[in-house]
Amino acid sequence: MAELYDALGPWVFGLASRILRDDAEAEEVLGDVFVQVWARIHQHEPSRGPLVPWVLSIARNRSLDALRRRRRWWRKADRWGAAQRLEDDGAVPVPDPAEAAVPGWPVHQEVHAALAALPADQRRVVLLAYFEGLTHSEIARRTGQPLGTVKTRLRIAHGKLAEALKHVKDWLR
Amino acid sequence: MTDWLGMIPNPREPRPELRARVLARATRPESRARRWGWLAAAAVVAIALGGGAGYWTRATIVALSAQRDRLAAELAAVRDTLGFVRGPATRVAWVPVTTNGRLGGVTIFADSAARRWLVRCEGMAPNEPNETYQIWFVTEGGLRRAAVMTMDEEQATVMAMAFDVPDDVGPVTGAAMSIEPRVAADSAAPRGPMVFHLRL
Repeated sequence: MAELYDALGPWVFGLASRILRDDAEAEEVLGDVFVQVWARIHQHEPSRGPLVPWVLSIARNRSLDALRRRRRWWRKADRWGAAQRLEDDGAVPVPDPAEAAVPGWPVHQEVHAALAALPADQRRVVLLAYFEGLTHSEIARRTGQPLGTVKTRLRIAHGKLAEALKHVKDWLR
Repeated sequence: MTDWLGMIPNPREPRPELRARVLARATRPESRARRWGWLAAAAVVAIALGGGAGYWTRATIVALSAQRDRLAAELAAVRDTLGFVRGPATRVAWVPVTTNGRLGGVTIFADSAARRWLVRCEGMAPNEPNETYQIWFVTEGGLRRAAVMTMDEEQATVMAMAFDVPDDVGPVTGAAMSIEPRVAADSAAPRGPMVFHLRL
C-alpha cells in the first residue's frame, strides 16, 4: 500500500487539485481514494485494464463528487473563474519539469502529446468532459456549440486518444 | 483509453505528513469492520424502528377497531331505542310495581309492527339469589315467555332490555311479570307470584 501511495499519490493529488482547485479538498479526496482503493483492490482485475487508470478513475469520480456538492463555491468563484478562463480555450496544460522525477512521468508526457495532437475544439470538449464532469448538453451550452457537434467531437477525440494511447501500459511494478 | 487522461495534470507531491495519515486510514484493520459495524448497527436500528412502527401501527389499528366496534354497537343501540320511540306502531305503557316493599316501575315500548319490545325496569328490589323476574307476553292463548330480567344486588336499579316477539307468538294484547325460581325460568307458565299484569 505504501508503494502504491508513493507511486500514485502525486498523480491522484494532482488530478484532484486540478479538478477541485482547492488543496484542502484535494487532500480529503486523496485519503478517500486510497481508502477506497485498499478496500476494493481485490475487485480490480488486471485482465480488464491496467491499475493506474483504475485508480485515477476513482480519483476523478471522487473529485467530481466533491465538486458537485461543494457548498463553498462562492468563496472560490474567483479562482475557479480565472482558472477556467485560462483552460477553456483548450490550451494544453504545461508540464512542470521539476516534477519529472515522479514515477509515471513518461506516461504523463505521452498522454500530453496525444492530447496536444487533437484539434483545439476537440481538446476543449475532452477537457470539459473529463475535468469538470460536464454532460454533453452542458458542454454544448458552455461552448455555444450544437449538441450534435459536441457529441461528434467527443467521439472523434476519444477515438484518436484510444489509438494514440493503446500501447500505454501500467508503469507500476 | 480516456482513463489515461487522469495523467494530464502535473503530479503534485502531497504534504509529507499526509502519507502516514492516509496509509493509516486506508489500512486500518477496523476500517472495514467498522464500516460493516455501522451498517449492521444501522440495519438493526432500521429493523427496530420498522418493527416498533409496525407494532405501534398494529396496536393502534386494533385499538381503533375496538373503539369503532364499540361506538358502532352503541350507535346501533341508540338507533334501536329511537326506533321504539319513533315507531308509528309503538305503544308505551308504564306500570308501578312494588317489590319487596320497594316502589318502582316498569316501562314497556311495544312495537307491534316490528314485533320488538323494549322493557325498562327501575327502582325494583333485587332478586333473591334463587329467583328472577320473568316477563310474559299476554296473548289470546295465554301467557308466553318473553324474557328473563334478573336484578342482582350489585346491579344498578335501572335495567333495560330489548327483545323480539317470536313469530309463533300470536297477537300480543298485554304484558306481565312474575318472580320465578331461577332453575325454572324456562317454564312455559308462571309458577311464582305475579308482579304486574296489564293490557296494552
